[in-house]
Amino acid sequence: MNHSKRVEWSRLDNASKYFAATYSEKDEKVFRLSCEFFEEVDPEILQQALDETIERFPYYRSVLRRGIFWYYLENSDIHPLVEKEDKPVCAPIYRKYERKLLFRVLYYNKRISIEVFHALSDGTGALRFMMTLVYYYLLIKYRDEFSDQIPELSYNASISEKKDDSFNRYYQGRHFKKQVKSKKEKKKSKKVYRLKGTRFEENRVKIIEGTMSAKAVLDEAHKYNTTMTVFLSAILLRSIYMDMPVRKKDYSLVLSVPINLRQYFKSETASNFFSTMNIEYNFGKGSMDLSEVIESLNESFRKELTEERLNEHLNWQMSIEKNLFARVLPLPLKNLFVRIADEVVERRTTACISNLGRIQMPSQFDGYIRQFIVVPNVRRPQLAVCSYGDKMVVTFGSPFEETEVLKNFFKSLSEMGIKIEISSNM
Amino acid sequence: MMYCNYCKVYIRDKKEKCPLCGNVLPDNGNIEEAEDIYPVIPLTYRRHILVRILVFISVVAIVASYLVYKIFPTSVNWPGFVLLGLISAWLSLVYVLRKRHNITKTITWQVIIVSGLVIFWDLKIGWKGWSLDYVVPFLCIAAMIVMYITAKVLRLSARDYISYFLLGGLFGIVPILFILLDLVKVTYPSMISVGGSIVFLSAIIIFQGNNIKEELRKRMHI
Repeated sequence: MNHSKRVEWSRLDNASKYFAATYSEKDEKVFRLSCEFFEEVDPEILQQALDETIERFPYYRSVLRRGIFWYYLENSDIHPLVEKEDKPVCAPIYRKYERKLLFRVLYYNKRISIEVFHALSDGTGALRFMMTLVYYYLLIKYRDEFSDQIPELSYNASISEKKDDSFNRYYQGRHFKKQVKSKKEKKKSKKVYRLKGTRFEENRVKIIEGTMSAKAVLDEAHKYNTTMTVFLSAILLRSIYMDMPVRKKDYSLVLSVPINLRQYFKSETASNFFSTMNIEYNFGKGSMDLSEVIESLNESFRKELTEERLNEHLNWQMSIEKNLFARVLPLPLKNLFVRIADEVVERRTTACISNLGRIQMPSQFDGYIRQFIVVPNVRRPQLAVCSYGDKMVVTFGSPFEETEVLKNFFKSLSEMGIKIEISSNM
Repeated sequence: MMYCNYCKVYIRDKKEKCPLCGNVLPDNGNIEEAEDIYPVIPLTYRRHILVRILVFISVVAIVASYLVYKIFPTSVNWPGFVLLGLISAWLSLVYVLRKRHNITKTITWQVIIVSGLVIFWDLKIGWKGWSLDYVVPFLCIAAMIVMYITAKVLRLSARDYISYFLLGGLFGIVPILFILLDLVKVTYPSMISVGGSIVFLSAIIIFQGNNIKEELRKRMHI
């Protein structure tokens, strides 16, 4: 028995704890980021790029393990290998008794994709890994073209910054009092409408991605004096409303919108750091006029996206995890409670929309990258957006065979005169 | 690119029907221009087929044995043993399958399950004491040896096996109770088990003490 090096391990951050507890067959908590090139992918070069990238993100070598009270991440020496895509989109990654990496790198024709278990990272964190991977891939593949001037990647963070638990960093402690006692403005809570449908076999998900001009959509949004996220949310809400049965028309619609906290609290972490807000809207007997919906959403977004609210939310999330009673509960019991709480929240959620925003790569890469695609983890119909250059990709993921809402959504956009290119996995 | 007249969208990949509305796409684009973006993944049915066959065989065996027993009665209720035997085998198998990714853990669980089962069997066929006399102590010794060999052969790192080594060693000491409480007629297997365990435990504590501490700290963090 020779002496081995001490193995590094770390606690899970707040959101990771949630994802590790709530993944299930119906929602494996796996999301995907893809990058489409104009040329076929070369797997060997991709492997070289991955080797370079993993050196810069040692945190991505972690495996998830179960302790008595908490999960934890343990460093491993597993060497990640690129695979040709041969599984359904967002196939399960974490399995209780297996010790495997929490992400995979895939290639298929002109695309490379990474699929990530959400306990490892959120979309923005994984995007940093993805950008680094794409960066090294192009750098190695077109070495000669870049010989005179090597492009520079804008993301620069130290290894420890990349694995920073930013939730913990910005948690103000147990004595944090809600500065603003959330004014008891709880409206009479109406029933929340939930989308139902026929599930696909093997719990597969249908992915429909629509590629369109970012400028064209933004121009439309500006007509209503609003942002891209609010604009798309409004169209999504209207698409759902159009499909609602008459007897449920007075139900409320609740959109869950993840917020990237890195925009509000300084952090460079490639791990999780986000919060979610719930945006409620009720069409009631009112009209389906888009400007009315947008006006209401503008107001809700403005109210939620204040530093005060975000701080409040973050501290509330953390206070649960720091609760002494919760801490000494054995892991299986903890998981049970988290799952129950999660199910309660889920019953008040209609759909989810997340916007990863503009992806910036060195301008020399413009001629090589066609677009980036983000595929959300799908529990209910869920929408994710990202853009690269002028190519904006809206990806709709749904566990249901019915496509009415998706159709309404894309049709609304195409009827505004926006050219949409659709591709789908089934 | 194909164009769906109903949804007013272009379809990039090779589809006969519009993925949005399900209508058959008109023959308006160049189908050979269609791209291959997502691979088509066939459904997989192979999973657990072997397990299903085994379950089916078990059911047939139980039914058949009871039928034979009813038609040709004997003084011994042997179908009961068939049933118990199958239950025992399944219990063991289920745990092996569930924990198959961690061999040392599997071994630990097998020691517990099999010990429980042999004591139960011994009781069922009129306590002769063979389970405590021989089986349980030898099981503990065998487990320690097998664990050590697998750890060496598979080159497991200390953190992977250390807690199960510890558990295995502690189990091996349990037979001391058999001797103290006078439960066994033949004492030497129990003595070997206890002696072996003490040596085994002291070895891992002396040589891997730090690893044990580290591993416990990790697994028990609150």
